[in-house]
Amino acid sequence: MTSFTHLRVTSGYSFKYGTAQPEELVERAAKFGMRSLALTDRDNMAGAIRFAQSCESSGITPILGVNISFLQKKFRITLLAQSGTLGSLYRLLSAINLGGSPSGENILSHDLLERFADYAKDVVVLHGPDSQLSAAIGRRRYSEAISIYNSTREIFANQVIEVVSHQIAGDAPFSTSHAAKALGFARDHGLPALVTNATRMLERTDGPIADILDATRNLVPLNHRHIERRNSEAYFKDADSMSRIADEIARAAGERSGRALLAETAMWAERFELSPRTDIGIGEIHLPEPSVVGSRNHGEMAEQLRARCETGLHRKYRGATSVTAAERLEEELATVRTLGYESYFLTVADIADMARERSIRVAARGSGAGSLICYLLGISGVEPLAQGLIMERFCSTLRGELPDIDIDVESHRRLEIYDAVFARYGDSDWSRPNNQSRVATVAMVETYRARHAIRDVGAALGIPAIEIDLIAKSLPHIRASNISKALANLPELKSLNLNTPLVKMAIHLAGRLDGLPRHLAMHPCAIALSDITIHDRAPMQRNPSGYPMVQFDKDDVEAIGLLKLDVLGVRMQSAISYTLDEIKRVEGDAVDIDAITLDDKKTFDLIKSTRTLGIFQIESPGQRELVGKMAPDSFTDLIIDISLFRPGPVKSDMITPFLNYRQGVPNRSGQSAKPEIHPDLIDVLRDTEGVVVFHEQVIRIIATLTGITLAEADEKRRELGTLEGQQRVCDWFYPTALSRGYSEKTVTHIWEILRSFASFGFCKAHAAAFALPTYQSAWLKTHYTAAFLAGVMTHDPGMYPKRLIVDEARQWGIEILPMDINLSDKSYRVERVAQSTRAPYEAPDLLSTGASLNLPDARGYGIRMSIADIQGMSDAEIVSLIAGRPYIDLADFVYRAGVSRPVTEALIMVGAFDSLHIGTAINRRDLLLHLQDLYSRVGGKYSAASTQISLELGLPELAPSGLPDLSAGERVSNEMQLLGIDVSQHMMAFYAEFLNHVGAIKSSDVIHQRSGQSILVAGVKVALQTPPVRSGRRVMFLTIDDGFGCNDATFFEDVQQSTAALLRNGSLFLVRGVVRRTGPRGVSIRATAAWDLADSYEKWRNLAVDDQPIPGSLRHA
Amino acid sequence: MFEQSASVPDRTQQAAPSSIPSARVLAPEGEPLEFIYKGKRFHIHAIVSRWRESGGWWNRIGDGKNHLQDELAIFDDGARAIWRVEAAPEGALSTFEIELDELTNKWLIRPTSRPQ
Repeated sequence: MTSFTHLRVTSGYSFKYGTAQPEELVERAAKFGMRSLALTDRDNMAGAIRFAQSCESSGITPILGVNISFLQKKFRITLLAQSGTLGSLYRLLSAINLGGSPSGENILSHDLLERFADYAKDVVVLHGPDSQLSAAIGRRRYSEAISIYNSTREIFANQVIEVVSHQIAGDAPFSTSHAAKALGFARDHGLPALVTNATRMLERTDGPIADILDATRNLVPLNHRHIERRNSEAYFKDADSMSRIADEIARAAGERSGRALLAETAMWAERFELSPRTDIGIGEIHLPEPSVVGSRNHGEMAEQLRARCETGLHRKYRGATSVTAAERLEEELATVRTLGYESYFLTVADIADMARERSIRVAARGSGAGSLICYLLGISGVEPLAQGLIMERFCSTLRGELPDIDIDVESHRRLEIYDAVFARYGDSDWSRPNNQSRVATVAMVETYRARHAIRDVGAALGIPAIEIDLIAKSLPHIRASNISKALANLPELKSLNLNTPLVKMAIHLAGRLDGLPRHLAMHPCAIALSDITIHDRAPMQRNPSGYPMVQFDKDDVEAIGLLKLDVLGVRMQSAISYTLDEIKRVEGDAVDIDAITLDDKKTFDLIKSTRTLGIFQIESPGQRELVGKMAPDSFTDLIIDISLFRPGPVKSDMITPFLNYRQGVPNRSGQSAKPEIHPDLIDVLRDTEGVVVFHEQVIRIIATLTGITLAEADEKRRELGTLEGQQRVCDWFYPTALSRGYSEKTVTHIWEILRSFASFGFCKAHAAAFALPTYQSAWLKTHYTAAFLAGVMTHDPGMYPKRLIVDEARQWGIEILPMDINLSDKSYRVERVAQSTRAPYEAPDLLSTGASLNLPDARGYGIRMSIADIQGMSDAEIVSLIAGRPYIDLADFVYRAGVSRPVTEALIMVGAFDSLHIGTAINRRDLLLHLQDLYSRVGGKYSAASTQISLELGLPELAPSGLPDLSAGERVSNEMQLLGIDVSQHMMAFYAEFLNHVGAIKSSDVIHQRSGQSILVAGVKVALQTPPVRSGRRVMFLTIDDGFGCNDATFFEDVQQSTAALLRNGSLFLVRGVVRRTGPRGVSIRATAAWDLADSYEKWRNLAVDDQPIPGSLRHA
Repeated sequence: MFEQSASVPDRTQQAAPSSIPSARVLAPEGEPLEFIYKGKRFHIHAIVSRWRESGGWWNRIGDGKNHLQDELAIFDDGARAIWRVEAAPEGALSTFEIELDELTNKWLIRPTSRPQ
């Protein structure tokens, strides 16, 4: 077979155009024995790195280009990089993307070409059948074609006529006759020519997929008028087929055979060949230069790193531990020195410092917390030595890749850090030629999954939107190829006929879209930093926030050795920061939350009580259940808890043995439950009851038994991830450990532990980094409950609706203060109030041990509702309202506050004016009438545009009208409608009589019920979760709150049939279920039935003769 | 992007009265050499042009020809290859279109100028 190089190939990275993955194309080229292959996606080069990696492993030489609109949107040319000058193509593409037309359409213009001529001169252009040049040839306007060619002759390195035949009928572009005309034109004028297949599919049978993508891209249903595909020839052809096509074209152009055309194509292909290493930069490392951190050379940078670490050491360590720490620091610095990563650490530290200089809270996450250097530089707040965290899990000389540090910052101030980083590392004007920069944001490739695939296919096939919507919404987030299986298991789809040919075909096609790139989005938090050459190493585009973004994703960025730093906005950090500010404002205390000790008993009492709403990481129903079972006593326990609460350990039921050992529960054979631990491993396994939970433990066990270094042991741990790797490690582990004197029994026992737990292990450093804000937030909730909950309400960091946090505050004895136009702020403020008579929550004593918990008493504090909660109120109105304070009455407010009439009405309805009329007969109805008077006085002058009214004519009088005030029910109903929060009392209060009558159990009393007992509970829906389960069977978790805390009920498949729709659509529920005790304070409810609470209440009321008003309006929660 | 006017003809129109479905065509290497039309054996002298067409599968989903077979989709995408040829029984040349339906592998023959 002769060889052929495809020089125009689009993959799925030509979003919604190509149907094949770059890897598939490379694999096919290898199968066809091709030596090189081009990837020339449309408008972007996002597939370039994975393409090059795949080429490298298949022994194919990569060629890179991009297909782009030239002069007009409909005319396209292909730009190809020549060997050694890939950077010029990147920069030209970046210029098109960044400096292009403001409409966002990326079109290469003459103006851009002139400005960026330095880059264009390295690039070769293919004028293919869809180019302007070719269009002129098609119309036989040869002089026009020549002038198009000549207009860019001096600009590009070269221009080649690209001939393509898809054997389309007639003489349209992509017909043989059109291709022959183009070839004849090239020959007549002595211009170079080459043949491609303008490939967009892998197989001839992929035509329907291409059609779906065309329809989706153009947002039209499938129809001949909209579909550009005329046949299926744009597939990846082998060399023989391409040779026949070349013959056909050449003969039609009057040549004897296609041999000359093929030879010319091969000649050009050679000029484009790139090296994955030296051209594309795979495997290189490019960190910011020493000058960026103020050093003259690498040596100085190393000294600077050492000096900064030693300063930290003196500040943070005293006595004996400082000696250990100093030794550890030497080891870590030696590793960094060997790797040449000084710049890495100093750059990240620099960015953490930038945050702190702006008083933005910053915390490291990930394995970086295992490094003492990170702790000393202030990147991480976790002290690594006490927790046995090790540097090698994060960074070692045995691994060629850059370590990964992520930092968490206050979410509402994240972009301030971006701005600071871009100001320091970026270019001030990155759209001008030869711009120099070290930083960009990172792309993220969104691929087709089940929901999107079925929606797009359904729209293209014209399936009714309602039907598609129903299918799409019911689908859990799964791979598109699993759709049919998933659908078969969903009870609410039983009414749909999924077996019509159309639906079946749609499901099949959705499966074929699976995994195809759909859209190039911005990675939500990653930035890439490098030396000054970032523009030569990656193409850029502007992201939606206006920052430059490399078109590569995070893996690509790492593959070409840029420093990838995730800057995550964490709302909890914002909430903590807000809490600290409130404490200072109200108490005058400045709390240094980063300096608190990690062993506060009261904090752990709170955690053990499972009243963890609002606390970082441990507030979810599942976590509350787990902390109830586990009863954490120390920071280490918290780390273990966070490590255990992940799908792996939960699914493999690793938690049960751990908890049994911890609680000393004997196993089935009645033996002592604790596993035997070899004396050498006691230190490693003591904290986790002999169960392997952490990667760090695996590493230490391997190192202890075999005598290798921790860095080597981490490599072995990584190998355990695959079955073949396990075998290799096993073959080495046995003889090595036996030769060191361990008995075969011990070695076998330990190997079994390693093998079974290695894949579920968790990086302890990572868990520790998470545990720190968990502990800090728990500490704040314990000692400054009101300030903390105000912070949670303001920054909404968790999973629960605000009304639940409000109720949580109420239960700790905190007064919920109504909205007040003179007191409410844009955020939730803490106020001192007179001691309330309400009793705060008390944890029941443990039945088994009688142990009682010391819980916070937050009486004497109130939280003032925030005006930002009024729906429809603009930021400008809030600012102007606050600026105009104080207001003496409603008229004054209407005159000066600059607030629209509907918002003013809402403020009256939620009682924001009540405090102005305390002790008078004026009620909210009177105020509403008065508002109407105020506006009617100005008559036609009032308009939506001018909300300020003139009151020159004298004020209408505010007088009691004699109408009754709003009832308690109406108040709560207004609050729910306007704020989404029941402020004055809990919604469930209205059902108290009914619930008492039917014997429903308060959530705070469920813990006292016998295991196995069937009970009734009720409440407002807080959350409904349907986590993906590997078996495909769906479990629904319902959380409801009843004003005494939350109940978590689990609905298995047998119950879902009758309840799934109700749970999705309803908001107030009565649930019957069976109690299951799971630990000292752990309890869960397996639901057996559920009803709509309001419906049940109605029925009961109709039976009972009762004259209590019906709170029907409460149903819209 | 492909600027092209020729639309794909509807399937039903292809079976025009003058075309003979399931014709016998001799095409040893995929390219037609001889065929039998109205009882006469024609020899192909020259291929005037050839092209390929497909598309419109979405209009035929309900008719059972597009279907799933053991998780594999069979699309009736109307894929066909067409040769416009000059052919003659003896001496006199005529022009025909020979079409291969690539789903069923059946040949169709249409004269585009009347055979003498």
